[in-house]
Amino acid sequence: MTKSNEQRDLFPGALEMMILRTLKHQPLHGYALVQHIKRASNDLLQIEEGSLYPALQRLLKVKLVSAEWGVSSTNRRIRIYKLTAAGKKHLEHEVSRFERMLEGVTRVLAPVKS
Amino acid sequence: MNWFTQLFCRRQRFDDISQEIREHLDEKVEELVAGGMSRTEALAAARRQFGNVTLIEERTREVWQWPLIENFFTDVRYAVRMLRKSLGFTAVAILTPALGIGANTAIFSVVNAVLLQPLSYPQPDRLVALVRHFPQGNGTSTSIPKFMVWREQKQIFQAVTAYDEAGPGMNLAGVDIPEQVKGIHASADYFTVFDAPFAAGRAYSPDEDRPGGPRVAVISYGLWHGHFGGDPAIVGKTIDLTGDPYEIIGVLGPTFKTDLPLDVWLPLQADPNSTDQGHYLVCAARMRPGVTLAQAQAAMKVSAEEFRRKYPGPSMDANETATAVPFLDLSVSDVRPALFILLGAVAFVLLIACANVANLLLARATLRKREIAIRSALGAGRRRIIYQLLTESVLLSLVGGALGLALGYAGVRPLLAVNPVAIPRVGDHGSAIALDWRVLAFTLVVALFTGILFGLIPAFSGSRTDLSTTLKEGGSRTGSGFRHNKARSILVVSEMALALILLVGAALLIRTFETMRSEKAGFDAHNVLTMEMSLSGTRFAKTAGVAQAVREVERRVDALPGAEAVASTCCLPASGLDIDLPFTIEGQAHAAGANDGDEEWRNVSTQYFQVFRIPLIRGRVFTEDDDAASSERVVVISESMAKKYWPNGNALGAGITIGHNVGPEFQEPPRQIVGIVGDARDAGLDSDPVPMMHVPEAQVADGITALETRVLPINWAIRTKTAPLSLSADIQKELRVATGGLPVAHIRTMQQVIGESTAIRDFGTTLLTAFAGVALLLATIGIYGLMACSVQQRTQEIGIRMALGARPEDVRKLVVFQGMRLAVIGVVIGVGAALGLTRFMASLIYGVKTWDRTVFVSVVALLGAVCWFASYVPARRASRVDPMDSLRYE
Repeated sequence: MTKSNEQRDLFPGALEMMILRTLKHQPLHGYALVQHIKRASNDLLQIEEGSLYPALQRLLKVKLVSAEWGVSSTNRRIRIYKLTAAGKKHLEHEVSRFERMLEGVTRVLAPVKS
Repeated sequence: MNWFTQLFCRRQRFDDISQEIREHLDEKVEELVAGGMSRTEALAAARRQFGNVTLIEERTREVWQWPLIENFFTDVRYAVRMLRKSLGFTAVAILTPALGIGANTAIFSVVNAVLLQPLSYPQPDRLVALVRHFPQGNGTSTSIPKFMVWREQKQIFQAVTAYDEAGPGMNLAGVDIPEQVKGIHASADYFTVFDAPFAAGRAYSPDEDRPGGPRVAVISYGLWHGHFGGDPAIVGKTIDLTGDPYEIIGVLGPTFKTDLPLDVWLPLQADPNSTDQGHYLVCAARMRPGVTLAQAQAAMKVSAEEFRRKYPGPSMDANETATAVPFLDLSVSDVRPALFILLGAVAFVLLIACANVANLLLARATLRKREIAIRSALGAGRRRIIYQLLTESVLLSLVGGALGLALGYAGVRPLLAVNPVAIPRVGDHGSAIALDWRVLAFTLVVALFTGILFGLIPAFSGSRTDLSTTLKEGGSRTGSGFRHNKARSILVVSEMALALILLVGAALLIRTFETMRSEKAGFDAHNVLTMEMSLSGTRFAKTAGVAQAVREVERRVDALPGAEAVASTCCLPASGLDIDLPFTIEGQAHAAGANDGDEEWRNVSTQYFQVFRIPLIRGRVFTEDDDAASSERVVVISESMAKKYWPNGNALGAGITIGHNVGPEFQEPPRQIVGIVGDARDAGLDSDPVPMMHVPEAQVADGITALETRVLPINWAIRTKTAPLSLSADIQKELRVATGGLPVAHIRTMQQVIGESTAIRDFGTTLLTAFAGVALLLATIGIYGLMACSVQQRTQEIGIRMALGARPEDVRKLVVFQGMRLAVIGVVIGVGAALGLTRFMASLIYGVKTWDRTVFVSVVALLGAVCWFASYVPARRASRVDPMDSLRYE
């Protein structure tokens, strides 16, 4: 199974955007993040749970999030991700871009007024 | 410090990632178990929902890596591991390309030394040789008048010089035993043209280079140190050279090296108004900066026309003009075609070696199908797998290349020792052949190319796997094994075609060799010893002196018990050295200045025909009476000359005047033809016999003697009763005494002389035969391997056939038929290609057509027989299969 075979309903960058948005609320660890996104989208989005991790590392690399080890409520050793200031700015930028794009597409797809 | 912490950090990071993912899965499992699933189900479900865990972990890591480089190193490590596992395979897969690459390196290093390395003079690309140009080729020798006209092209050439093409060797006296040194007469501009550095003193000036100018000399660094012990007072010292005193005015620097090693340079002192038509000089020039070769060639054409205007008449042929060629061509143009053919041949050998290794890899790929299928199932893309397989093959070929480089370098010198005289510019025993950057770069490129070439097909076909079938099946007996066999068959067929081409080439050369050996050379070269001597000094200024010395030599040497006959001549048979002169036939009307012919001419002593056992056909040979005192001038001509000019057969008794219109030195009264002798292949064994005139030494015109003494050594030839070299010391002693102490040089047997004339072709023949043999061996191994593998793969099928009633002979026939079918295809392709390619060898072949029937038939028969044998051995093994065993065999 290669990258090209992954089912992509999402455009590139969508996953990162959603992660950043979720983290804006509160810092979370990987598993919780996945659960949150699934719930929030009402299961409309089929995301492979594991695909989160490469995305998280990418965000970590460009320092849009930061990570540190902590302990969960169930005494489990977990890695908690937190949004950085740069991440917040990036998120705003990406969201506005996305909304603009969405509006454009919606207009094109709108039924022609007869 | 940075990379270390980075490395350490990376380790840490990767551990973090692993742990994180594990935790994720654990958490998931806990959740599912809490929801009611059994533990085992939960584990499976968690992993499924996560996705491909291994792949995701790898992708996550990749964020922090440079995938290309990481992959490369991983591939290399993996390749090394795989290759270490199967040492036998690895050994063969390294040795085979090593041999191919080594041969290529060896030949290329020779080509590099001969053709690619720039000349050792400063700015060698500006140096050109000015030559006479004819429709059929160039003539490198030129005459004084031509030089004088050519050097007027001052806008094109910075400096033009002319110097002796050969030299008689100069006798350097003044120490205990006179020594013969290599010296030439060169015009003053020589040192400007070659930009020669001086260690001491100076060059001679144009003023000193005029007729009647002072006797000055420039010597080489080697001579200064070797002969004069590096005497610091060398400049101004007088030495006895060729019997006259010369003042040393300059010593060249140690870096100055000429193609043929020279020790002494004397001023040419040519008369600008000379009408001497002898062509015994070489003309070289340095082009002005910015001048192109094309411009120089155009200027030379103009110059040629100017010469024709200035000297109308026979001094220039009607179809003769002049041109400029790169100076390097003078030494290498003969050997260039042979070298290119060898390069082509050795490339073929490499291709065959590649095909063999490709076959090996394909066979191995069949065995590794499971491994590759598993990797594929784990997420490796096809491209990744191809890269990994290619890495393996390139690694093999690089190691093979390193080994080949060592083999090639070590092998070149013994290779050259086979025929040391053949190749110019390689130095004594190949000392000038070095591992310079060109050779290294060549080897590296060839190794890479080889690895990719033989790795490509196995990589492509090995990476194409049908996952489910491969993983389900236990063995590797069907499926892509079939596809592999097709690729392998194609490889084997091409191997055979290539081997056939090489065999045809080698066979053509061998036949040429045989033809030349068996065709009568026209003279007997066994038991003949030859020596050169430079007749310098006033004693030999005129013919009488030379003739007297010859008589004295005859008297003394004939008295030796081991000697049968002794003769002198200006040019030995088959030595490639010749003088040609025009002549007119008496009794025929001519326009003023027109000649009847221009043929080879040599002066010989009376016993010449006896020494070389050249048969007398009609009339007589020379006797003691044919000397200067006799009133009759005589000449003996060769059979082909008689046939050419007197087709009705009445040459005997006819009169010819030789040297008419050539110049006052050559004037002589008409000669009568007193004898016709058989043709001796005087221009070298590889050409048709040339018409020849022989005149007795004692009757040579004084002018010719003077010219010859200056330009050529005299050759002594002695027929001995036993081994020639055993008598060498005695003969040398007699010669020295008879000539008043002149030293002798260049002692060779006649066999050696002949060997030198065919040296290049012999060298090529030896090598090409060796390559063809290697190619045949590799192709045989290839076909044997394919058949053996195929038999093994089909063991079950054979068992079934035999159980169903096939007899052992039937099985044998089946296998042999398979093999021979491939052979036939290969032969057909090979013959077609060979017919097209052998025309490039035309210059090396003699007496045989490039499409010679015997050669092709015998080569095809040889290849067919070899293939039959290579198929028969596995066939026998196949026929011994016990049906019971094979059906049980998994």
